Amino acid sequence: MKRKKMAALGMAAVMTLSSLAAGCGGTDKGGSSSASGTAAEGKKDVVTALLPPVSATYQDKINTYIEDFNKENPDIEIKVTTASWEDVTQKLDVQVNAGSPPDIAFIGSSGVTKYLDTDMAVDISKYLEEDQINDFDENVLNYFKNQEGLYGLPAYCEIQCIGGNRELLETAGIDWKAVQKDGWTYDEFREAIKKGVVKEGDQIKTYGFLFACAGVTAKDYFGIFVKNAGMPEAFDKDLKYAYTSKQMLTFLEDLRALIDDGSMPKELGSIDAGKRWNMMLTGQTMITGKGLSSFEKSAYENTEKLKNNDGSAVEGSIPVEYVVLPVPVFEGGNQQAQGAVDGYICLTGEKNPDEQHLKNVAKVAYYLASSERAAQTCQELYLKPVCESGRTAYEKLPPIENKNEDNTKAVESLTTQIAEARPDIPADKGAAAIKIQDEVIMPKFQGLLAGEVTPEEMYQAIVDAGHAAFGEAGCVSDES
Amino acid sequence: MKKMKKEAMWAYVFILVPLCTFIVFTLYPVISAAVISFQKYRPLGSEWVGLDNYINTFKNGLFYKALKNTLVYSIITVPVSMLLSFMISIMILPFRKKLQSVFKAAFYLPAIASGVALSFVWKWIYDPLPSGLLNNVVKVFGLSNQNWLGSQKTAMLSLIIMAVFAGLGQNIIIYTAALLGIDSTYYEAADIDGATFFQKVRYVVWPIVKPTTVFLTITGVINGFQSFQNAYLMTGGGPDNATTMAGLLIFNRAFTYFEYGEACAQALILAAIIAVFAVLQFKLSSGDVEY
Repeated sequence: MKRKKMAALGMAAVMTLSSLAAGCGGTDKGGSSSASGTAAEGKKDVVTALLPPVSATYQDKINTYIEDFNKENPDIEIKVTTASWEDVTQKLDVQVNAGSPPDIAFIGSSGVTKYLDTDMAVDISKYLEEDQINDFDENVLNYFKNQEGLYGLPAYCEIQCIGGNRELLETAGIDWKAVQKDGWTYDEFREAIKKGVVKEGDQIKTYGFLFACAGVTAKDYFGIFVKNAGMPEAFDKDLKYAYTSKQMLTFLEDLRALIDDGSMPKELGSIDAGKRWNMMLTGQTMITGKGLSSFEKSAYENTEKLKNNDGSAVEGSIPVEYVVLPVPVFEGGNQQAQGAVDGYICLTGEKNPDEQHLKNVAKVAYYLASSERAAQTCQELYLKPVCESGRTAYEKLPPIENKNEDNTKAVESLTTQIAEARPDIPADKGAAAIKIQDEVIMPKFQGLLAGEVTPEEMYQAIVDAGHAAFGEAGCVSDES
Repeated sequence: MKKMKKEAMWAYVFILVPLCTFIVFTLYPVISAAVISFQKYRPLGSEWVGLDNYINTFKNGLFYKALKNTLVYSIITVPVSMLLSFMISIMILPFRKKLQSVFKAAFYLPAIASGVALSFVWKWIYDPLPSGLLNNVVKVFGLSNQNWLGSQKTAMLSLIIMAVFAGLGQNIIIYTAALLGIDSTYYEAADIDGATFFQKVRYVVWPIVKPTTVFLTITGVINGFQSFQNAYLMTGGGPDNATTMAGLLIFNRAFTYFEYGEACAQALILAAIIAVFAVLQFKLSSGDVEY
């Protein structure tokens, strides 16, 4: 009996201690890197990284990359935590808010201001050699800059555009090669997608154009298209809020017209990215968005599956040859491309690392973003590397088989048209613009797509929000 | 006396575990949230901002819209769900025990299924294209294709329908248990008095299960006010914030904008509103309830 009581008491003590330990488990700082870098002599400096599956085989290759690096740099050890695309932001945010982020994390450059605001982003410009900084294409590198600081290095620049089904485009009489080369105006695009509509009785069998707009994906439709409507950024060069310009109203009317024409489904606001791609592969749309160059690979693989009677091909799908297309240019706009620049941001936390550790972090970030790593990653994503060392390594890789050369040229051309990065926008202004986008523009845009908010109402809501946040003098006014 | 002391000691030891868990995982977060609501929270050093977070919250029009949405959602979901549960429980009651269990298990199934999985299925049901399941059903009745989650007219209703069906099981189990606890002599007496089925429900069953109804109303309203998952997964709060609930607003404030101070302030205001509602309901509907 006594033994039983002792065991029960022991168990209770263990449970109490373990619950306390779980609750107070902040002292380890999430197993992050050694706080003092090379503080203890002879000890390796551990650099931690949180990485998503950047490309299909990236997380498999990363171990080899690390092994190679650790061999060449015996005083540094890279420790990688992998996460899915779905989890990576949440994981990073939790660690940031606990004050113990990884030294390096893979994020989209649009997130730089978010982490800058936490005072945890590290300006690595002073820890990198000049030739390392010069290795990267300037405009792409600028996406990781804010004011004078450089907070990360780009892994690639993905062109976010639209893409079409070659056969359907040709059936509709659209000279897609000319469009790839010269672009198209909004009016040309509008006429083209009208021609792409195929009806069976009253039912539309094929839409001319479809963009995934369910929930937050509507942000992409707005963001990608507005670049070609004379508003490449939320702020103009004078740092005035640009979306209050009358051009916005014309732009919104134009987007609504595409639905009213019947070229796009009126249920656009409920179509998510998966469904959009499924509709592309099943021939329910001629042009889809957003389009990425890697979709060519995806379409090709599905077509191969169909040829081989592979049951894993998308149900009801047809052979599709994917054609990269630029976004049309709206009145008052110039041809520009939306570049999604993702890469390695450098962070610090409560651990107060020494200068040597930060130098090591910058070294690891450069290693991951450059040469063979950049080349292999970009090749898998059907992109050209954005650094010289990456391009050199890319040339040595075996060429991709069955690649559509017209698409390659189109993507290269679009890469040169990427909207200019805007490191001059102060973080607080950027954050205020993001808030307007999330709390005013996107909700109203969803209403606009559903036909329940007029372009005028949406425009007025943007103007009101812009004036409230930046003052009338801080917003673009066409009258002035 | 010595034995009593020893027994008490063991009681305290075993109470200590849940007490510590409660302190660490419930009390500490609540107190922390209250403290953070007066700060501009930053991981590397927060600063005190007094009542700024509360003032910003009360100035934010979206906060009121989210509260209104939450109220509408709760006010419709809770009574509809309870009425349906009550009716289904009464219909289940006459069956043999085994058949009763089959029905109870069937209705309870959504409660044990993952909310995320359920959302995916409901998204398929609400597919906006003419090929969508619900659109095919409404077509039979001669109605036109609806953009269920994409239209302000139907988005909230769609979430309410989903919540009602997903939440029936739990209420049915509790109502059935309460109904089974009614002494058969009450029914016999009602039979002797010549009461009809509906009179029995109105004058015998309903008053006896009132404590259960009060309990389900209060917990239902609390759950309704805290609803987050469905809006987050199904609509993201859209279109035009028609389905932005208070929970989603708080989540976005904290995890999209990193404004933990304001998020904590909003959460505490919501907690206060829930507390007021719970007390009001308790006072209004439990006057003649005996436990």
